[in-house]
Amino acid sequence: MNALDTRPANSALGSGLKVESLRFAYNETPVLLDINLTITEGEFVCVLGPSGCGKTTLLRLLAGLETFSSGNLSWKSQPITGPSLERGVVFQDYSLFPWMSLVNNITLALAKSHPETDKKWRLNLAEEFLEMVGLENSARKHPFELSGGMQQRVAIARALALGSPVLLMDEPFGALDPVNRAKLQDLVLNVWSNANPKKTVVFVTHDIEEAIYLADRIVMLGSSPGRIIQELRVPFARPRLRRALTGSPEFQTLQEQIAERFRQDTLQRIEAESVVAGDAEGI
Amino acid sequence: MKANTIEPQPGFAIKLAATQPLSNKTAVKSAPAARPRRSNWWRLSGKEGVLFLLALLLIWQVISTFHFKGAYLFPSPLVTSKALRASLPELLKGTWSSFIILAPGYLLAVATGIVWGLLVGTTAWLSRLFSPFARFASPVPPTIYIPYAIALLPTFRTAAGFVVFIGAFWPVFLNTAAGTASLPQRYRDNARILGLKRTEYLWRIVFPASLPHIFSGMSVGLVFSFIMLTVAELFGASAGLGRFVQLYADYADYPRMVAGILYTGAVVLLSMELLEQIKRRALFWVK
Repeated sequence: MNALDTRPANSALGSGLKVESLRFAYNETPVLLDINLTITEGEFVCVLGPSGCGKTTLLRLLAGLETFSSGNLSWKSQPITGPSLERGVVFQDYSLFPWMSLVNNITLALAKSHPETDKKWRLNLAEEFLEMVGLENSARKHPFELSGGMQQRVAIARALALGSPVLLMDEPFGALDPVNRAKLQDLVLNVWSNANPKKTVVFVTHDIEEAIYLADRIVMLGSSPGRIIQELRVPFARPRLRRALTGSPEFQTLQEQIAERFRQDTLQRIEAESVVAGDAEGI
Repeated sequence: MKANTIEPQPGFAIKLAATQPLSNKTAVKSAPAARPRRSNWWRLSGKEGVLFLLALLLIWQVISTFHFKGAYLFPSPLVTSKALRASLPELLKGTWSSFIILAPGYLLAVATGIVWGLLVGTTAWLSRLFSPFARFASPVPPTIYIPYAIALLPTFRTAAGFVVFIGAFWPVFLNTAAGTASLPQRYRDNARILGLKRTEYLWRIVFPASLPHIFSGMSVGLVFSFIMLTVAELFGASAGLGRFVQLYADYADYPRMVAGILYTGAVVLLSMELLEQIKRRALFWVK
């Protein structure tokens, strides 16, 4: 079928984000098994999977916040050994420091990405970043005075202020209401497509619709242990118009196919488990 | 009485009564309307504490009137308040002399307790180095050092300042270290993502995030400071609040002594209130 095209992405080797035979275990329990993934520069990839499939772990490994058990991880052929300003992260919530005003949360990032600049200049630039996410009037406010959606806007602004070519997003809109979620999805798409050069985005979500709307390519993770069960290219041209796209039969077919693939995986796993259980009974 | 002016509801009740002109038995009616109000006012207005204090004052008065040694050992509230007024200049002088011992000792304890707590709490080898000693030294009741400190240090002021420091240091240090230990993972992750250097991390992330713990250490430390100070003054001061109480106890001038105790209580209360205000400002971001 055309929609479930499994060709690997535009394979410009040596550049981009590379994951090879990646394995991560927590207390001997495998969380991620043999992950192989190549993400080209400027690509928008969604990692899609049910909760507990290890997608957040994968993102934390890419960020350098966790150490993998075996395999290889690299960005532009440089091995990833820890966090770096090359990879900005937006977490699901609580990305901001609550004792700092919004503008100070951002200048903290700017002090790292532009260490040679003075405070005044950073303050101005921070306000520009806040303007970019539509919060120029709240610069002196503190995170607790803002709604969840607004806080995520600031978290995005801060990730942009880091100037990272790679943006890692861990279910950033998971806690938002549908209206804000849609607004922020469009904000992320805008930021991504307007940046020059384009940013490489790895976006973790469990929402199929979100993944299709945002991604160039979807990487589907199955659970226990987490492994890639399928990769697929999203065939829809950009810019995508939300209404027209989500209402189209093609969109719905794709959505249904993805859901079906996850159902299959779950069934296979249950069968495998019952076979193991059956063996045990035999003994 | 007062109840009618303090209570917010009487106005409401009066309005109710006023908007019922149709009733021809208003005088009779307003009485039962007022009754549930009256039986509830103390519960609703949160004045129980004041009531309790008034009751204590009354008991005090009764004891000093009827106890066989009452007037001597339990000077009545009136006598005490007179003694308080008479010795106010002396007490104020004593307050100053106490504060110039307490403030440096306490502030030094807060500063070193916070800095050392942040460092030990976030550095594995420092924690391994210092924890065994802290575990041994921190539970020692600090009052036990007083005689030795007075013998060892050149002046009473340095000796008392030192024991105040010891009394306040451990609570501040231990709470700060506990604060760093309970630092949420997300702050650590974000600090790492931003590539913060160690000093920035300590000063801009760990320190503010630990402030709730630090402030509870500071209030415990402040109480300890006052205990240490007044006990030290009982031993060998020539001025100060503890000295004032000790002096008039020696003279068997109990009205002044009781006045000194009450005054000291008020000073501690005000100091704690000041710290509470600072805390509220600093922790505005804690929901």
